[in-house]
Amino acid sequence: MHFGRTMKWLWALAALPAFAVQAALPEYRGFPGEGTRLLLWVSAERGRAGPEAEAAGRLASQGVAVWSLDPTGAYFLPQLPSSMDAIPVADIVDWLRAALASGKSVTVYAVSRAAVPVLRAAARLDAGERARLCMLLMYPNLYASAEALDEADYLDVGRLERLRVRILQPRRSAATLWLPVQIDHLAGLGAQVSHVILENLREGFWGRETPTEYETAESRHLDALLLREMESEACK
Amino acid sequence: MSVWSKLAIAAGVALGLQAQGAGLEARAKLEAPEMRAIDLQGQFRSLGEYRGKVVLLNFWATWCPPCRREMPSMERLRRNMAGRPLEIVAVDSAETPEEVRAFLDTLDLGFPILLDSDGQNTRRWKVYALPTSFLLDAEGRIRYVLKGGAEWDEGEALQAIENLLGEAAQPVAR
Repeated sequence: MHFGRTMKWLWALAALPAFAVQAALPEYRGFPGEGTRLLLWVSAERGRAGPEAEAAGRLASQGVAVWSLDPTGAYFLPQLPSSMDAIPVADIVDWLRAALASGKSVTVYAVSRAAVPVLRAAARLDAGERARLCMLLMYPNLYASAEALDEADYLDVGRLERLRVRILQPRRSAATLWLPVQIDHLAGLGAQVSHVILENLREGFWGRETPTEYETAESRHLDALLLREMESEACK
Repeated sequence: MSVWSKLAIAAGVALGLQAQGAGLEARAKLEAPEMRAIDLQGQFRSLGEYRGKVVLLNFWATWCPPCRREMPSMERLRRNMAGRPLEIVAVDSAETPEEVRAFLDTLDLGFPILLDSDGQNTRRWKVYALPTSFLLDAEGRIRYVLKGGAEWDEGEALQAIENLLGEAAQPVAR
């Protein structure tokens, strides 16, 4: 009996490092692609929408490997923007490093508040590692507070020297007017920031309850939009 | 009833009151930022012309579903308050006059719509979400802020307006 208990402890100790490595990577869905590009796709708090999964599949068929992370699903968190602030940053750091270790050209694409954990993770990388990443941020929400009549406060995400950040901003959004302030904020953290305005689109256009015809059409071309931005000068 | 039960009920009531009060945020008679905009007829408008009236100032956009949803209640409020010192002013944020006119063709609204095509007023008022509304008292001071939509002709929103109208009707104490 004593021997049995000892063996159990030994087994548990032996299993610990393997478990720790497993636990350090978030649970993501892989879309294998044969080409040289890898896209890390981090969905917003509402989870991975159908059009997002379809676009990831189409990207994979065009040779772009996609690792798709639904953060609130992976960490069993409520589907709220604030849940993004609770994502373990160390896990995302490991995920980024695993992606860099693939040898592919890595682009990170994060939607809305999901920009917070990926920027925080990028800030924890070495500058050399950061320089190898390009981040596409779809209407990033980096506010700590944004109350009418007051100056907005941004969350502390850390220093971002040598990180290329490209903001994808739908025109039909209250945040569009504040884009220059956000760009200045990210540039002040050391990032190399560019942006593109997505005309006639609203935030989350691929998953809206009452989309316009144009939004419906564009959500079918989400893969083309991302491919174009991955191949833009800002990400090359 | 045990002390713990009482505490639990008190906490529940407090949370309930907090939830009930959520929405309109009271402000301590804040001075309103400047508003310089044109209406759909191209006439220059400023808030100064509404001095002496309670003002519901609403920032909105045609693409914003909650903005569109609350507009009928704003029109009902206008009609219900006819003859009383209340003005409703809707400021369209960062859209073209054509986009606004196309939307207004679908609704019969009797309150003024101002155009903030370049977004200068939206920035000056530090509006980060649409719709955002402000209730100004008859002295032109900001008394309430609401981020998100409301049914303006009922409940908490109507009560806040009635309170401000009641204040406006009182003689000013010197």
